[in-house]
Amino acid sequence: MATATPPSVNPASSVFHARALAKTYGDGEAVVRALAGVDLDCSEGEFVVVLGASGSGKSTLLNLLGGLDTPTSGTLFYRGWDLGGADEAGLTRYRRDAVGFVFQFYNLIPSLTARENVALITEIAADPMSPEEALHLVGLGARMDHFPAQLSGGEQQRVAIARAIAKRPAVLMCDEPTGALDVRTGMAVLEAIERINRDLGTLTLIITHNSVMAGMADRVLTLSDGHITGEKRNATRALASSLAW
Amino acid sequence: MSLLDLKLLRDLKALKSQALAVALVMACGLAMMIMTRSLITSLETTRDTYYHDNRFAEIFARLKRAPNAIAAQIAAIPGVAAVQTGIALAVTLDLPGVIEPATGLIQSLPEQGELILNRLHLRSGRILVGRESTGEILVGEAFAEANNLYPGDKIAAVLYGRRQTFRVAGIVLSPEFVFEAPPGAALPNNKTYGVFWMPYKELATASNLDGAFNNLSLRLAPGASESAVVAAVDRVLQPYGGRGAYGRESHPSHTRVRDEISILQGLSIGFPLVFLSVAAFMTNAVMSRQITLQREQIAILKAFGFSNWEIGSHYLKFSLVIVVSGTVLGTVGGVVLGQRLVEMYHLFFRFPALQFQLATQVVIIAIIVSMVAAIIGVAGAVRAAVRLPPAEAMRPEPPSSYRPALIERLGLGRVFTATFRMALRNIERRPTRSLLTMGALALATGILIVPNAFRDGIGQVLDYQWDMIQRQTVLVSLIEPSAARTLADFRALPGVVLAEPVRGAAVELRAGNHFRRIGLTGLPARAELYRVIDAHERQLTLPPGGMVISAKLAEVLGVKIGDALSVRVLDGKRPEFAVPVAALSEDFAGTAAYMEIGALNRLLGDGDRISGAYLTVAAGQWENFLRAIKASPRAAGVVVKNRIREGFRETTAQSIGLLQQIYLTFATVVAFGIVYNSARISLSERQRELATLRVIGFTRGEVGAVLVGELAVLTLLALPLGLVVGSGFARVILMSVNTEFVRLPLVLTPANYAFAVLVVAAASLVSALLACRRLDQLDLVGVLKARD
Repeated sequence: MATATPPSVNPASSVFHARALAKTYGDGEAVVRALAGVDLDCSEGEFVVVLGASGSGKSTLLNLLGGLDTPTSGTLFYRGWDLGGADEAGLTRYRRDAVGFVFQFYNLIPSLTARENVALITEIAADPMSPEEALHLVGLGARMDHFPAQLSGGEQQRVAIARAIAKRPAVLMCDEPTGALDVRTGMAVLEAIERINRDLGTLTLIITHNSVMAGMADRVLTLSDGHITGEKRNATRALASSLAW
Repeated sequence: MSLLDLKLLRDLKALKSQALAVALVMACGLAMMIMTRSLITSLETTRDTYYHDNRFAEIFARLKRAPNAIAAQIAAIPGVAAVQTGIALAVTLDLPGVIEPATGLIQSLPEQGELILNRLHLRSGRILVGRESTGEILVGEAFAEANNLYPGDKIAAVLYGRRQTFRVAGIVLSPEFVFEAPPGAALPNNKTYGVFWMPYKELATASNLDGAFNNLSLRLAPGASESAVVAAVDRVLQPYGGRGAYGRESHPSHTRVRDEISILQGLSIGFPLVFLSVAAFMTNAVMSRQITLQREQIAILKAFGFSNWEIGSHYLKFSLVIVVSGTVLGTVGGVVLGQRLVEMYHLFFRFPALQFQLATQVVIIAIIVSMVAAIIGVAGAVRAAVRLPPAEAMRPEPPSSYRPALIERLGLGRVFTATFRMALRNIERRPTRSLLTMGALALATGILIVPNAFRDGIGQVLDYQWDMIQRQTVLVSLIEPSAARTLADFRALPGVVLAEPVRGAAVELRAGNHFRRIGLTGLPARAELYRVIDAHERQLTLPPGGMVISAKLAEVLGVKIGDALSVRVLDGKRPEFAVPVAALSEDFAGTAAYMEIGALNRLLGDGDRISGAYLTVAAGQWENFLRAIKASPRAAGVVVKNRIREGFRETTAQSIGLLQQIYLTFATVVAFGIVYNSARISLSERQRELATLRVIGFTRGEVGAVLVGELAVLTLLALPLGLVVGSGFARVILMSVNTEFVRLPLVLTPANYAFAVLVVAAASLVSALLACRRLDQLDLVGVLKARD
């Protein structure tokens, strides 16, 4: 699949390999350059936090990396697989097999219990863990048979994390995972994400405008106006429980 | 235009296909209502004008023979305003190029001037007047059309045993024969039965009735009592072989038109009511969803100071647009269907001009009725919207709460997939909506059962009548009862394989206060060709000392097996006697009474006679047989079974075909509309859920399955329910046509059920697929970012 391999790097060695990645919306006078040429490599097990104000292009980056959208120009490889040139069915397969998503507003299926929300994914995944195991990982072993409406926001978000990781994805994408939560429940959610990254070795990307989370990361990218304007590596990762905002 | 109205227009544009779906269902109901009410008006006004202008009589009587002077006695009866006497004779026609003979009724025209009553309406050619024998004849339009007869054509008729050739002088209509068929026929057969007129003198000479009459009609003076006049007429005619006078309510043509109007009246209420209820439900579903989506907009409008009334009327206007479109579509549909139905009525009813008249007041009523339906549909949703305090409305709705479905609570949930559970729980969370959706789909399935049940019922009656009961090739009737040895003459005709005698007598059967006038049929005890059959489809043997009557006749007379019936014979020596009911027979068209022919002849007291014979004819000898029988002077009528059967089949195919089209269209519209609308609402309510599924890796097909899963479950539940409902519809409607004259058995075949299921399933599937196409437009990213 990696036919368009650039000579300088071996895209297969990193999980993500992006060069001059750009995305524009609209055309003519209304054109918006959401992402204006981004180079990025992410490796196995890495914990990456992408910081940026709203409109900085961070969500667009996540959409492209998560296979929700295709770039206007540039190249994007996932383990040598050309996501930039993938079609609708290819992207669906990619999301189904490789990516776990966590969203700001949880997006659980209201008519399914916590366990069933997770099972929805394990039913279609190749090598899933059991829903129970996934829910234990996020500390919800006791509330598996509750419906979303019966769970607090933090609990719902942890179900969403369990749903995202139950299929043992290579990548966990989190878009403002604590955006709708108070500090205390937000903390519990971050701890769950941290544990997944540590125990399962899942490449984890969090996009947020909350710079406090930067402490948890191996690497912190700052985006503004569609460009990566800063990249910082933490020598040691702070524990989620030590963060405060 | 106010900005709220502009918003209304844009909202409508966004919801146009759903609004159209509702409008179409509404239009079906309105079309039915406008069509039926307009047809009732058209039929009633046309009939009344025709009856009035052509002086249709009010009392009718047949007799053997009375001198013309008796007419004065009849006219002198108090309450009689006008009298018309004349001759009516059975006739056999020999048409050029047609092998099988046709039969009919020929009536006389007065010697002077026009008919006083039952005046003819001339279609083409000219009316015959005066005493002169002209060798000319007037022909009823239905028969003329079916047999391509025009003025100037020649036809041969066997009149009172004498074969004569006549020239067609004119094509006419008569108020007596709006339904141009032999008395008691359920359907006309215009190729084989016609009505004719010729001058009195010629007919009287041919039938040895010169100076006499055998047919009488009269009109009542205002305020006269019909029953008193009928009794008086019967008294006057008794010595002359009167067969009993009767009023319009028993007139075969009049009753047929009246029954049709009463069927239309039933349809004009029941059908529209059901469709408009479905439309009201659909309006409610669309508007509730729209208002939920616009919760925050409503809050902002209220926060800015718009009154509840302004907001409420904004949403009411929304449904009014649907009502107006529905009414326009419904009126157009009603007019189109009405015109098609008027064409179909032409098969049955002959009026000088039956025009479809759009009953405009009905359109106004239709608008009001559908407006009420729509207002009922939106009222709840609008009330909920305007009641909400602005501050609360600006917050998103609380998350929907669910619980395991009943079937899971019963412990059966283990086997279901997560998506199937979603469907079950969604159904259970909105039980009213689910039930109504299911009800509407069941209705769509049910209405498809009706026309096919009619078709199959008629098919069975025809098979029963022509295969089980009557197995002859032809029935030959004699001008007058003749000696039994005539049967030997029939046996000697070319090709005749089997001949069995029949003796008929006009009688009045009486049991207590109930009586009926009917033809009593004498047959061999266990005939081969005309078999009397019971409810278990077994042949009955006619006993030597009892009568077998139709179960329906026993019901009408209030008698059971073993009870005695008093019989008064209405012609010949007019004997009176009592006979016990020996058994009950099963039949569907009209009612019948049978006796063993020898026993009947003994009671009639005029010797061993026959009125006709049932014959089977060898196929190879058919043409020779027909040539011989047409030349036979004694045969008054020849009824060829297969010809009649074919005629029935054609007429039913045409009329049922139109009904089927109408019901098919309506069922498809309902099934399509309800599924499409439900899927669209579901898509709108659950787009976040569906987008999530897409994002986490479900394919479009899998998400589509989640979207329509619920509807698939509802459709699957609705289909068997619809078959039950449809069988019920068919039963009720068939019961309503279950009269003394026509009865239809309830025949529900697997093919009928399969057709209904297939149509509704296909309409549901196509509309679900159409709605699923919208999944492509789902904004995955946008939906996930937005709050509920």
